[in-house]
Amino acid sequence: MDLISNLAMGFGVASSLANLMFCLIGVLLGTLIGVLPGIGATATIAMLLPITFQLEPVSSLIMLAGIYYGAQYGGSTTAILINMPGESSSAVTAIDGYQMARKGRAGTALATAALGSFFAGSVATFLVAIFAPPLTTIALKFGAAEYFSLMVMGLVMSVALAHGSVLKALAMVVLGLLLGMVGTDVYTGAPRFTMGMNQFADGLNFVAVAVGVFGIAEILRNLEDEHDRQVMTRNITRLFPNRDEFRQMIGPVLRGTGIGSVLGILPGGGAILASFASYTIEKKVSKNPEEFGKGALAGVAGPESANNAGAQTSFIPLLTLGIPANPVMALMIGAMIIQGIVPGPNVVSEQPQLFWGIIASMWIGNLMLVVLNLPLIGLWVKLLTVPYYVLFPIIMAMCSIGVYSVNSNPYDLFAVAFFGLLGYVLSKLRCEPAPLLLGFVLGPLLEENLRRAMILSRGDPTTFVTRPISATLLLLSLAILVLVFLPQIRKRRDEVFTESDA
Amino acid sequence: MTSITRRILLGSALALGLAGAAAAEFPERQITLVIPFAAGGSTDVVGRIVADRMSQELGQQIVVQNVGGAGGSLGAQQVANAEPDGYTILMGTVATHALNPLILKQKPYDPVADFAPVSLLVLVPNVLAVHPDVPAQTVQELIDLAKAEPLAYASSGNGTPLHLSGELFKAMADVEIDHIPYKGSGPALTDVLGNQVPIIFDNLPSASGHISSGKLRALGVTTAERAPSFPDVPAIAETLPGYETYSWNALFAPAGTPPEVIEALAAAAQATMADPAVVERMGEFSATVVASTPAELGEHVTAEMAKWEPVVRDANVSMD
Repeated sequence: MDLISNLAMGFGVASSLANLMFCLIGVLLGTLIGVLPGIGATATIAMLLPITFQLEPVSSLIMLAGIYYGAQYGGSTTAILINMPGESSSAVTAIDGYQMARKGRAGTALATAALGSFFAGSVATFLVAIFAPPLTTIALKFGAAEYFSLMVMGLVMSVALAHGSVLKALAMVVLGLLLGMVGTDVYTGAPRFTMGMNQFADGLNFVAVAVGVFGIAEILRNLEDEHDRQVMTRNITRLFPNRDEFRQMIGPVLRGTGIGSVLGILPGGGAILASFASYTIEKKVSKNPEEFGKGALAGVAGPESANNAGAQTSFIPLLTLGIPANPVMALMIGAMIIQGIVPGPNVVSEQPQLFWGIIASMWIGNLMLVVLNLPLIGLWVKLLTVPYYVLFPIIMAMCSIGVYSVNSNPYDLFAVAFFGLLGYVLSKLRCEPAPLLLGFVLGPLLEENLRRAMILSRGDPTTFVTRPISATLLLLSLAILVLVFLPQIRKRRDEVFTESDA
Repeated sequence: MTSITRRILLGSALALGLAGAAAAEFPERQITLVIPFAAGGSTDVVGRIVADRMSQELGQQIVVQNVGGAGGSLGAQQVANAEPDGYTILMGTVATHALNPLILKQKPYDPVADFAPVSLLVLVPNVLAVHPDVPAQTVQELIDLAKAEPLAYASSGNGTPLHLSGELFKAMADVEIDHIPYKGSGPALTDVLGNQVPIIFDNLPSASGHISSGKLRALGVTTAERAPSFPDVPAIAETLPGYETYSWNALFAPAGTPPEVIEALAAAAQATMADPAVVERMGEFSATVVASTPAELGEHVTAEMAKWEPVVRDANVSMD
């Protein structure tokens, strides 16, 4: 029973007084920066890297990991309360979470997010412990063709994110795809849509776009009518979910955990799909899909569990292969190298204390987070009573600092301003920002992998259907497409028939 | 001894004295070290280790600022335009000071005229590695294989030192291998570990863990000599005489920085790189410590530009 003795060793390492303290510091910091809009885990970890020089390698990685998943918890708080997602995963939470808050159910939404995240985090941590090595081999089976098909599936799903007109949702996805094209072409080095400014050579900053179209646009909208907001605080009757709501939560949380755990292992864009995928599925299986977008509990519970499960399992490629699944993981690799640990497949065997210590600390950290966050919900909800003239300038300042701190690029701030205005215009036109964001995130991945797959197959497009994983994903996309459009086609046909009858 | 030499000696003694006086005054406040890449990469790691130790040498804090973007050009441009007082310095690389200026059609800065060289800190070898399923065991066998069937190699991106190492290899070995660019080393490594792409040119530090675990087979290092951290891996030059590429990290200040300030920075950098703890760290990282003088770095930049110019031209790599 290697696993049990390894886990015991891990808990031994993680529960030393010093490591418990660093874990607590990490999750506290993570929650805090997650709650502050715009400041993400990437910027925080980058700023804290020099401090980790002086720490033990295990302690420093435990703390950095704590910041990362702590931020996932905290990020949902701002998404729910002020419609301000700090990263792609909480963009989905904002859709229904913010609507719940507007109806006075902010406490319920926050508690759902925290409990769902805790459950998902615990399950995913055990998956990491048991299946890390075999799961890695699955991740390696994903080549360019498979990623392309996965992204196709993601884009097809994005249409389901819309709760209004499908046409407008498609338009937003396409706009997002176009915005994602800004920057240097990976294959030829040609700059695209940069307007001659090499500050845009690496594309638009995701945080700038997200904070703009969601947050700043929301602030502008709120400035129009102040009285709307009274509803949010007046109707709060209780902070915690009741028995019935708990029952509603179970299914979405379980499905979200499964989806998030699987997609989280794929380096290069798998994890960002998790919360979107979970939302789509919840909407499909729900008995009341019309509730989605108007404050559906399942629309918060599912995606939040999915993103937290994905956050944990994205450590698998890092710990077993030394491959970063996202920018935060790239920083963790930097932290390991600074400590003199060569990231790679040898970490598990050469540094078992480190490997198992981190895994055990993730579970402890998740427990700390839920204990920390549940009592804080009352405090966060009070934030809603802060008057606009105090709250808005603070949010704007925080966003600006956060966006600027990533790359010290002033053009990112111009982008925030521009996308704030664009988001406001879009909201006036009743176009939803979530499909736009998904298109923006997936577009570059779709293109990059399409072209890579084509180079590798030497121009043969059948590569997408002859590779089994890719073919399966494409078939799934087709099935989803049929499911999405069938009801509409049937409706139209019914209309046609009624007309001809008449 | 002629009077001329004596005068030169006197002059340099005087200059040294002046430099000493200026050095005592120079760092009056914190210094910003601009790293032109995102945090977590190899340049960032070298930069942070150096900044940490150099702060002690100078008695003032060196603050690391990551200004990533446009393959390092944004950060380099920022330092080129900074106040030439030594309080803003750059962690330059082969990309910012040789390749980008050669590749970019619109040059955002001049690597020679806009900078005052301080010290060439380290050389970092690159490595040619293959997935273990690839039948080629040596560089020569890989060349023969490439002549027999179509192959592809992964690199960290278009116009990066690794891409050009691959192009130089193709030119010298007279073979055709498709280039597959990625956004950084991490995703490129992933695809080679999964055998989606058979060959990779990578920085030795980022590939070393996979080489020692046997998940990748190193065929050759790109430096003229074998790397001390991997004595069993031959140099590509053993098969293709004259083949030599490597990445490097060097400190630059903006042009017009007073010479005594440059001297103070160079002295601190050299003392930093002489610290056995730093040397050991760099060794773990497969980086070789150089710790040159400002003049040597100036010559190095010129030599690198001369070396890469024909490779860039023949590979037909250019960006607007």
